[in-house]
Parts: sequence; C-alpha cells; structure tokens
Amino acid sequence: MSAVTLSVHVSDVERLFREQNRALVAFLQCRLNSWSDAQEVAQEAYLRMLTMDNREEVDSLRSYLFKVAGNLAIDRLRKRKVRSEFAVVQSQDEPVDEHSPAHHAVAVEQVLGVRRALSELPAKTAQAFVMHVIEGREFSHVAQTMKLSERMVRYHVANALAHCRARVDETEVP
Amino acid sequence: MASKQQDQTMQVAAEWWTKLREPNADDDVVEQWLAWTAEDERHLQAFEQVSALAEQLGSLDQVSRHWLVRHFAKPVRPQRRWLPLAAAASIAAVMLSAALYIGWTQHAPKVAAQVYQSGIAQNRNFSLPDGTKVALGADSTLSVKYDSQERAIDVRSGEAYFEVVHDSRRPFVVTIGNVTVRDIGTAFDVRRTGERVMVAVTQGRVAIADRRSSANSRNTLEATAGQRVSYDPDASGMAVDSVTPAQATAWRSNRLEFIDEPLSVVIANLNRYTGTPVHVADANLNGMIYTGTVHTDAIDSWLDALPEVFPLQVNKQPGRVVLSDAKHAAR
Repeated sequence: MSAVTLSVHVSDVERLFREQNRALVAFLQCRLNSWSDAQEVAQEAYLRMLTMDNREEVDSLRSYLFKVAGNLAIDRLRKRKVRSEFAVVQSQDEPVDEHSPAHHAVAVEQVLGVRRALSELPAKTAQAFVMHVIEGREFSHVAQTMKLSERMVRYHVANALAHCRARVDETEVP
Repeated sequence: MASKQQDQTMQVAAEWWTKLREPNADDDVVEQWLAWTAEDERHLQAFEQVSALAEQLGSLDQVSRHWLVRHFAKPVRPQRRWLPLAAAASIAAVMLSAALYIGWTQHAPKVAAQVYQSGIAQNRNFSLPDGTKVALGADSTLSVKYDSQERAIDVRSGEAYFEVVHDSRRPFVVTIGNVTVRDIGTAFDVRRTGERVMVAVTQGRVAIADRRSSANSRNTLEATAGQRVSYDPDASGMAVDSVTPAQATAWRSNRLEFIDEPLSVVIANLNRYTGTPVHVADANLNGMIYTGTVHTDAIDSWLDALPEVFPLQVNKQPGRVVLSDAKHAAR
C-alpha cells in the first residue's frame, strides 16, 4: 500500500469517526448490552478500517464500518460463552462497578420503577420483556416458551421497553 | 410530563432496539435505522436511552432479577394443588409426593428400592442388574427400583453419570428433583444441588420433563449429545446450552467443572468433596456467577485464589471455612 492511499484512508476513517461514532456505539450497545464493550468494539472496528486492503471494492465506507462492527460484536458474544480451563472468570464484565454501593442504589430505584411499570402492562408483554431483557433469553427461546412468533415477542418487548423507559424517567425527574 | 410526541419517539426507538438486537439482522435494517437516526437528533437520543435502560436491567443483582422473574415470567402451572403449600416447603415434602406418585402409577407388585450412597470425597462406580453402568459422585444418594415395566432411578442428592443399556420395553427413567430424564439410548450426567438440577448428555438422546407441569407435557424437551439442560425453580423453564462430554464427566477425574453457575451451587458441590465444609456467611455472595475448574485434590489453593476474582474474604477456621463479603470483613 502506498503512502498516498494510506493518508487518504486515514482521513476517511477520521471523518467516519466524527460523523458516525455516536450511532456506531449505540448500535453496538444494543447488540452487546454493554456500553463499555461497545466502546472497545468500535475502536477495534476503526482499526480494521485502517488496515483494510480492499478499499476499492467497498462502495459505502459507512455500511462497511457497521458490517465490520456487527461481525466483531458477534465474535464478542461468542467469546463471552467460551471459558478457559484454568481461568476464573465472572460473567459480568465489570463486577467491581456493579457491586459498588452507588450502582446498587441506582439499581434499586430503577427496579422499583420497573416493577410498577411492568404491573401496568398486559401479562404477556411483561413476561416477554422480563425473559429477554432481565433473564437474557434470546427471542427464539422466548417465542418457543410463550408459544408466540418471534415477531410478536419483539412487539411485546418493544412496548414494555418504551413504557418502562417513560415510567423510569418520570420517577427520576419528579 | 412527557409529551405525546416524546412517547411516540420512545416507542419507535424501542421497536428499533428489538430489530437491531438480532445478530443476523439484514444490512438493510441497519441502513434504515441509520436513516431514522439522521432524521432528527432526538431519535438517536431516545435510542440511547432505551439501550441504556436495557443494559442496566440486564445486569441487575441476583435478588432483583429473581424477584422480577418470579412475578412476571413464571410459567403457569396447572397442577398447583400437587405442589407443597408454600415456598418454605422442605425438600422432604417434595420427595414424599414423588414417592406417592410413583407408588400410584405402578401397578406391579412391591419391589424394594435399592439405595446406593457414597461418602464425602468418594466417587463410586457400579453396574445395575441390566448392565447399565453408574458412576456416583461424592456425597450422593440414589435409589434404584426395577420392575417389569420400568427402570426407575431416583437421584436424591449429588451427582451421577449413567451409561444406559437401552431397552424399549422397559424405559430407563431418572427422577431428580422436579425433573425427569427419560433415556432414548444414551449416556448422561445428572446433578442435583438443592432444587436446581443439571442434566448433561454425553451420548445419544434423552427426554427431559418438568414434573410440575407433566399433565399437559408442555415443559418437555429432548436433549442430544453435547447439550446441557439446567433447571432452576426461580427461572422460567429450563435453559439449554452446550457442554463437552469431557466437561460433563470431569468430576470422575477429580475435576469439578462449572459453567456460568452461582457461587452457592459451586460451594454446595465442592462441599461434597471436602472434609472441611465451606460456609457462605453473606447471602449476597451466593448469586455471583462462576466459570472455571476446581481440582478436588487442591480445594485449599482454589479457596486461596477466590478473593482475587470475587469481592470476598476467606476465613479458615477449625473444621470449616467461612466466606464473607469483603466489605463486612473490613470491620
């Protein structure tokens, strides 16, 4: 790779970062359910963009960035399941943070709000939401257990999520 | 406080969140989502808010999580009258109803159950009359009752591995806690820790049923070699993930393998292998999730390393080991 194409490339990636980083991190947080993991994977995705050697074959750098990031997220989800024989690993990525008193206080507040919000919803809506978001079950698992289509499960989860967000915001800003 | 329009945006953001969650979502979905975020800066903001809430709720402490699951995601159980009266009901009561159930469904003449038991830190291997091989983990008890219709095994505590000689006229049925495992030509491992049950299939297939809902047979699933099924009375239904045969039977070679299991379960199983029982003093430690290996001949050094991964303190006392919250220990 010549120096000229590389420098053009760096500025491309810089622009992508400026314009797309917030959306990219939001996209990855959604996939990974972890903002800190999302930050890391986003960094890795930019690195991959810098070292790509098929620049000419790529139509849209933005699409390519999200594709690379999506694949890295899949790898990361897979790695979370892999365990080494001797390593002692906790499933939560930030155990210390999670067990800090400050974090706990926020969690308790939110649980109270969420309990109330969920009891205002139809039973199936609340069930689908708790199974997917709280228990971490995949949509397919929830669909099978509840004898619903995955589409219906997504519909219930989305309704509950929007409702809970609105209720939690009300309790946070009295 | 929130306007209608804000609510509407939040609703759309939540719908996008469920669409983008799918790891295999189409590239088009991502493009459409990006177009939506470009329409109005409040769109991405709303999306970030629902994502943040989902992340917080996905990493709740064990107590809150269990509470929410119990109240909102428990499967409906039609046979409630068969259950002991309250959650406080003892394991003994569950065992009694299990015994009655077997007694009423079998019309064969009374056959005395043969009980097998192993001591602490002692694995046992033996064969049953039909040639089925059994490896019994330490501090475990099972009873065997064969008649002309069925080969019934009841694992009352601990862990056992079976290599079953298949006989289609006389099914091999293992009852363990609230779960039954029916062999379809198989080798498998079962483990009971209180009311939690784990079944790992190393060869062939088994049918696993939650006995509490057996009437409508809704909670039955088939597991094949390489699958692990976990039953937790506090979760909705049984969870399936994967396990290698080597992991599932590692305990036969003095290694206890744990994959994403609460510390309470790890300690209870480790205690089957040590003469110096480990006691968890602070209940909040019980829910911490552990993945890893414990060598049963090196339990001491495993305990020494534990404070490096969990916020706890290990206190070795005469005759027992106490684990307590590192915060409390500072007193």
